Amino acid sequence: MTQLAIEVGALAKVFGGLAAVDGVSLSVPAGERRVLIGPNGAGKTTLFHCITGTLKPTRGSVRLFGRDVTRDPEHRRTALGMGRTFQITNVFPDLTLLENMTLAIVGTDRRKWVMHRAVAAFADVRRQALEGLEAVGLAGRAAQPVKLVSYGERRQLELALALNTRPKVLFLDEPCAGLSPSERQRISKMIAGLPRDITLVMIEHDMDVALGLADRVTVLHQGRVILEGTPDEVRANAEVREVYFGHG
Amino acid sequence: MDRGRLALSLIALAAALALPFVAGPFWTGLATQMYIFGLLALSVDLLLGHAGLFSLTHASFFAVSAYTVAILQVRYAVPTTLAAPAGILAGTLLAAVFGISVRTRGVYFILITIALGYVVWGVAHRWSSFTGGDNGVTNVPFPAIGGVGITSHTQYYYLVLAVILLCALGYRVLIRSPFGLGLRGIKASETRMQSLGYRTSAHLYAAFVLSGALASLAGVLYVYYNRFVNPVASSFPISVEAALMAIVGGSGTIIGPFLGAGVVLGLRNWVSSFFEMHHAIMGAVFIATVLWAPDGLVGIAARLRARFSRPKEPGP
Ligand SMILES: Nc1ncnc2c1ncn2[C@@H]1O[C@H](COP(=O)(O)OP(=O)(O)OP(=O)(O)O)[C@@H](O)[C@H]1O
Ligand SMILES: [Mg+2]
Repeated sequence: MTQLAIEVGALAKVFGGLAAVDGVSLSVPAGERRVLIGPNGAGKTTLFHCITGTLKPTRGSVRLFGRDVTRDPEHRRTALGMGRTFQITNVFPDLTLLENMTLAIVGTDRRKWVMHRAVAAFADVRRQALEGLEAVGLAGRAAQPVKLVSYGERRQLELALALNTRPKVLFLDEPCAGLSPSERQRISKMIAGLPRDITLVMIEHDMDVALGLADRVTVLHQGRVILEGTPDEVRANAEVREVYFGHG
Repeated sequence: MDRGRLALSLIALAAALALPFVAGPFWTGLATQMYIFGLLALSVDLLLGHAGLFSLTHASFFAVSAYTVAILQVRYAVPTTLAAPAGILAGTLLAAVFGISVRTRGVYFILITIALGYVVWGVAHRWSSFTGGDNGVTNVPFPAIGGVGITSHTQYYYLVLAVILLCALGYRVLIRSPFGLGLRGIKASETRMQSLGYRTSAHLYAAFVLSGALASLAGVLYVYYNRFVNPVASSFPISVEAALMAIVGGSGTIIGPFLGAGVVLGLRNWVSSFFEMHHAIMGAVFIATVLWAPDGLVGIAARLRARFSRPKEPGP
């Protein structure tokens, strides 16, 4: 039996009176590519927040490679191998793309504490940052401040940041949302080309992209898992067609 | 650094070195104060301009350090070589305690630092058997290192100049380091920094203590210049003025806080000679800065430079 990368147990998150996540249990084996789908407001993003530590769950537990991380703060989970992107782009607008990448690269090692040496003196960090930008097609933008680049480019940077924290498990929250068709294609190709030893959990609204990429699919509705299966099983399921596509 | 800036820095340095010869003791004294308060403003701006934290308690570190030096030198005849480091240590230790305020953000951080500042002021004011109360501690000697002592305000001017130049160089390395970049990252998006693996509170705490150490150093320079210290040094208006200097000069830069200190001190000196309500003028300067020049003098200079160096574009 393969090891479980992520194991979520009876997790709930209540906002005021609303249970955005309402008792979700989820197991993702190491190396699997799991896609989460579900209508708007199903609780997908909130579930991500609780798994990665951005939010504290009201109830339930989270395990990363068997280790209970429910009480660990977010930075600790990142150090242990969780990486994520945000649905609402969350990058550093006043900094250049290169500086953004530098922050991601040194964030998971001790170099983030270095005070007596300029960033520019770390040639290997610079090289890795440029490679990381190149991988998402942003090499030509390295010296520009984020606030001067387009929305699509920021989305690509969002992904590049997550990829450069050395994640073992990568959570992608609608990485292609709002991109042009050509950008969308490049990014989904890039995600498909990620090394298979990175476990992938991705929220995706585009069914073609979702079902094309996924090993398995989990369908969320009103804070609960209503189905889990292979892409074919999900495609064939009547209930999913009902809640997700809104027609029979 | 490009050639224009290098040339400008060299000219400024030459002017600073020549000042005591070409200008009288009044201007030399004013410039010394500008350096000292500029350093205090720079310490405030490490948090304000880089990490995005608005501290209003920096007068505390400044004053605790100044009092420590004064009491050690005057009452216990401790030499400068021990008293000055002890002052920096005392101010920095206080910053290590007050650093718990980085658990809060935004307006709560501002409020908590104001409250902490009042605690220190209250102690300086009320614990008169130790601090000398409103009279403070007087007759602080000029600093002396080994057998060599400072004997004039002109000599002291050069000592202060040397210290702030060293500080500016060190600060420059710090803000360009991965740690300094991390502070700017926290200012821009703390949530993203956490998800990139940063324990942001620890980063901010370290910045707070460093900034307190720098304010303490300014306190040492202050007490040897002033030759006395009283509760005014620890008062809320000093903390406010330090932040004001940074903003007026250009927050997030190194030269800005010093320029701001020059403007604030110069204006105050000039205005108070004929107008009692010079505080009102300071308020007006601050409001004008926030409304029309939020990037301060440095921002104005950058805008002018951009306008004149850009080739003329054809009009619409
Ligand atoms: N911070 C919050 N405070 C209160 N309610 C919230 C908060 N965040 C999310 N919600 C609510 O929780 C529910 C789930 O939201 P969530 O963002 O997790 O859905 P989602 O599945 O990601 O939807 P989408 O597909 O639109 O991104 C929604 O009803 C939302 O309004
Ligand atoms: Mg969402």
